[in-house]
Amino acid sequence: MKIGSIELRNFRQFVGKQTFVFKSDSLRPVSLIFGGNGAGKTTLLNAFTWALYGSMSEDVEEQHRMVTDSVWRNLATGGTTEVAVELTFDHEGRDYRLLRRAQVRKESDEQQRLVPVVELWETKSDGSSEVVGAPQERIYTILPEGVSRFFFFNGERIEKLVQKGAYGEVQQDIKVLLDLEQVERALDHLPKVDRKLTADLKKYGGQKASEIQTAIDELREKEDVDKEEQKVLEADLATLKEEREGVTELLRQHAAAAPIQRERDAANTDLGEARQARAQALLERSSLVATRGFIAFTDELTKTTTDISSALYERGTLPAPLKREFVEQLLADHYCICGTSLEEHTEPYNRVLEWRQRAGLQAVESAWQQLRGQMTPIAGARRELYESLQAILKRVVTEGDRISRLEERISELDGLLRDLRLEGVDELESKRIDLDGRIGRKEQRIGSMKASLEQVQKDIAQRTAERGRAEVTDELAAKARARSDLVQAVRRALEEILAIRSEDMRRRLDAELKEVFGKITIKRYVPRLSETFELALFQDVGGVELAVPKSTGENQILSLSFVAAVSKLAREIRRERRAEGSPVEDAGTYPIVMDAAFGSLDQNYQREVSRALAQMAPQLVVLVSKSQGLGQVVHELMPYVSHLGVVVTHTTVEQDVSDDIELEGIAYPYIRSAAEADHAELKEIT
Amino acid sequence: MPDTKRTEKDVLKELTDEERTLLKRILEIERARLHVKAADLTDDLLAAVKEILP
Repeated sequence: MKIGSIELRNFRQFVGKQTFVFKSDSLRPVSLIFGGNGAGKTTLLNAFTWALYGSMSEDVEEQHRMVTDSVWRNLATGGTTEVAVELTFDHEGRDYRLLRRAQVRKESDEQQRLVPVVELWETKSDGSSEVVGAPQERIYTILPEGVSRFFFFNGERIEKLVQKGAYGEVQQDIKVLLDLEQVERALDHLPKVDRKLTADLKKYGGQKASEIQTAIDELREKEDVDKEEQKVLEADLATLKEEREGVTELLRQHAAAAPIQRERDAANTDLGEARQARAQALLERSSLVATRGFIAFTDELTKTTTDISSALYERGTLPAPLKREFVEQLLADHYCICGTSLEEHTEPYNRVLEWRQRAGLQAVESAWQQLRGQMTPIAGARRELYESLQAILKRVVTEGDRISRLEERISELDGLLRDLRLEGVDELESKRIDLDGRIGRKEQRIGSMKASLEQVQKDIAQRTAERGRAEVTDELAAKARARSDLVQAVRRALEEILAIRSEDMRRRLDAELKEVFGKITIKRYVPRLSETFELALFQDVGGVELAVPKSTGENQILSLSFVAAVSKLAREIRRERRAEGSPVEDAGTYPIVMDAAFGSLDQNYQREVSRALAQMAPQLVVLVSKSQGLGQVVHELMPYVSHLGVVVTHTTVEQDVSDDIELEGIAYPYIRSAAEADHAELKEIT
Repeated sequence: MPDTKRTEKDVLKELTDEERTLLKRILEIERARLHVKAADLTDDLLAAVKEILP
């Protein structure tokens, strides 16, 4: 299948009629379409699946609003409009035109769910068209819907393809794609055919042949029952194993949580100590300020006191030449040291009395002396107080910083712990042991069921041989036996073909996957597709192969490698000469249409994925934003690009948010503002 | 389990012409109706057998 073109009519944000041609050849198989966020890239991807199957992916919101909003708004109540997607493609040498459309009548402002009609035409070599009856069935035979997930996908969600639990579905899809499904179906249907044939043998084949056939039928019934039970057992086993994997993962998380929890406990203890140390420092500072804080304010006082003292000394007031106590003694004795009598109210008395006023006190002088002596220690105490306060402040700041650091670390550790789902370890451990036991018992039962089946099959072979030797005279019965033998021979061959194809397919897919993944990855990881189709990554660590937990990015690379490998193998397998007969030229060819394929990938991975896909896909349509697609992607894909386009965003925002995209030196519209209505425009550049 | 060295071609080579024709026809019928999961193809396959061994 190769896409020729797409035409959208009022499809979601693609207003009116818009077309894009994808026709390409093996030298330039790529169409590269750019579009901003919300421009309509995902809608364009979904236009393909809507045209083919009438369905869109789950991530498309408001799925009932199929008609462009502005078209619907402008439509008068009672009026009708059309929404449609037309796709042209060729498949196995035939050209097709597919149209899915719906006529919608406006009953209210709210759009109702559509009931679209699908039509398919096959274009003849002379240009005439022929309507294909049962168009949807034909589409399913061209590309079954389940299989389409490998070819039409959103790169940001593609990792789900290889996530646990998806194996069953993927395996089933691959069976269809790689020609296994029809073999399995044939093996399911042939026993019923055989039963119808052998009914005649039982009826007309005579007693012996009839008895043998009855025994064969009973054995076949037992075989059917055993096979059915085996399927149930295997499904149970898969469920149990998945459950055990879940429990083991939780236990791993516990193991991962233990060191985090330990670190968090230690950080909590440290935080308590830091808070206490800071509180102690603050207390010491308060006490220091309360008891000695005043010293800080003594600078001016000591200076003034010293100045006063110095002035007194300078004036000679200190030390005092005459002490008041001495003058008072002279007045009390009424006798001066010069011999003059000091009678009260006499001139000499009054003169000495005057000296009394001028004389200094002994206590005052002593106090002055003492005060003067203390001026120097006070200056020292101020320095000491300053240094003590500085030291305490340093402690407060240091502990404050430590507290902040610890609080941040604890928040981070809390986050890590919150992200890990936790249950009781003991409970989980006993659950795991219980599951181990149940898995063991289930495996035992499957083993004995296999042995029982082998025995039944041997008995059937033996009885069939006996049937061949039994004498059958009736012509109808003889024919029935011959036909049954023919069916049995084909059935055995198909069983062997199924086993050969299954193993061959898995082996080749595994090899292809390893090759593609190896070209893309920068790590020494090796993918492996197990017999049960489980996809895992391994790493060689000193000669020991260890499973590697996959990140989202690695899962995306793994999925893209898987898609590329499946795509390549589908082509190869269909081209080989097989039981189905000679293939047509483009058998197994499918386009790959991917939206946001490089979203989560680093630049180097984008480069390698682009290169791998461009070289592997027979037709590749890549829908990317500027940030995803410019740079490595354009650089790698450009040599393979046959069509370049842009989904231009037209927005009603009035402020100028217009933007261009520059491709090969030319600027093209990417976003345009001040539009009459929000819409998307699919524009082909080259 | 099949002999790992055996191929699909080996299996086909060992069949008679009638068996090979039937096998191819069966796969054609099944492939054409692959999309119809519930399809009961017993009668179609029976008709194919009767065509080959009338």
